[in-house]
Amino acid sequence: MSDRPVWRGDLPPTNEPLRLAVRRLRWFKQAFLRFAQACGQELGCDFAVDEGKLADVFIRWIDAIEQQKPKDKAERRAFFEFAAALMLRELTADMPLKAQGPATKADHGSAAFFWPEGYCCTTFCLSVHAAAKEQEFHQATELDAAFDDLRHWWSLRENAHQDAAFSAGFLQVLLGNKPNWAMPDVFVARFKTEMEP
Amino acid sequence: MSSHSPILPDPLPLREALRGLRHVLRRGGHSLTETLPVETLPEPAAKVAEKLLREAESLARNIDTAASSLAKFVLGDQVNDAMHLNIPAAAKDGASPFATSFYVALQSALPRLGVKDAFVSEIAAYESYEQSMRLNHADAADLAADLMMRLLENRVLRDLRPAVLRIPASAVEAVAVFAVLLWQQSNWSYSESEEALDAATDIAIAINAEVAQSQGDSGPAQLAALFRKYACHV
Repeated sequence: MSDRPVWRGDLPPTNEPLRLAVRRLRWFKQAFLRFAQACGQELGCDFAVDEGKLADVFIRWIDAIEQQKPKDKAERRAFFEFAAALMLRELTADMPLKAQGPATKADHGSAAFFWPEGYCCTTFCLSVHAAAKEQEFHQATELDAAFDDLRHWWSLRENAHQDAAFSAGFLQVLLGNKPNWAMPDVFVARFKTEMEP
Repeated sequence: MSSHSPILPDPLPLREALRGLRHVLRRGGHSLTETLPVETLPEPAAKVAEKLLREAESLARNIDTAASSLAKFVLGDQVNDAMHLNIPAAAKDGASPFATSFYVALQSALPRLGVKDAFVSEIAAYESYEQSMRLNHADAADLAADLMMRLLENRVLRDLRPAVLRIPASAVEAVAVFAVLLWQQSNWSYSESEEALDAATDIAIAINAEVAQSQGDSGPAQLAALFRKYACHV
């Protein structure tokens, strides 16, 4: 496990449970904009956000959740993590933010330095997931050691450009899971490789 | 659709007429400045034309201000009250609050779609609601779908002047009307109404192809399904 806690940024308040609020575009957008601003300050670079692209990301994510949502309530917790993976898939499929310069405050050997946009989107998904999981299941989220390994981030950046589904697998790795790399963005297929010898 | 015209509350036709006058004056001013190629004229014609243009613009502005002032004088606070965004009650006597709310919301949603200027008919919104309420609807999504077909048929949105459209021009009317009806069905507190309208408009833009395709005989059913699917995501 990584020693690093999940960075929470500055998620907006809501009277609804987070699992519901995040599925409203107005909360999702506000959360993303605030997170991008806070992340930009932390890294020393401003992010420009394309709100049109962000809305498209949101709609594709909602559609993906609707399509893959399991009927069995016993799978609810597992799907919680998977929903975060699908969110990252859609964000990397058509990146809605762009760094306006280098991340001047980030370590030169860090993921945040070499790919600020990917880092911001990934930590946003982790942050929302961690907050919702804590609220729903009273469980803290721990990050896998892969989070601190730059090679995984290189791999994400290279592969996500060709196939956004890779991002879904990457987020599952960060959450300590073993994704099915043949179909990392298909919930019902997630255990297939684990059962193989 | 029925050609029967309901009895309208007194201020509505007057408000509509004054807005129509204001729209034409503003549009006239824009057209004048955009269609006269003053910069391409040689001197001294350019100077003369520029002076004339400035005077014409000033005249249009004065008449526009007079029309707006007259509207406020005749209608009291109604014009300003219409700026508040409220969910209309889906009731038999809800045509007036619906039309007012719809008018204000549609005006607010248009710039986000890339529309610079348009005439929104509150009377068309009023009549559409009256017509729709004569039928029984299973739920709010059903009512909204029926309303949308009537609002488009009654031409609630007219004389659009696009700036930089975010969607195909042919889809703008349907998407704008869909956005406002989606907003009216979604759950938001008064302080969130503007953010919710922006979100409803962004959703409508994101699914513009589906909205535009939901016409014809199966249109209402398809629209109702879209409203049911997305109202909880605004």
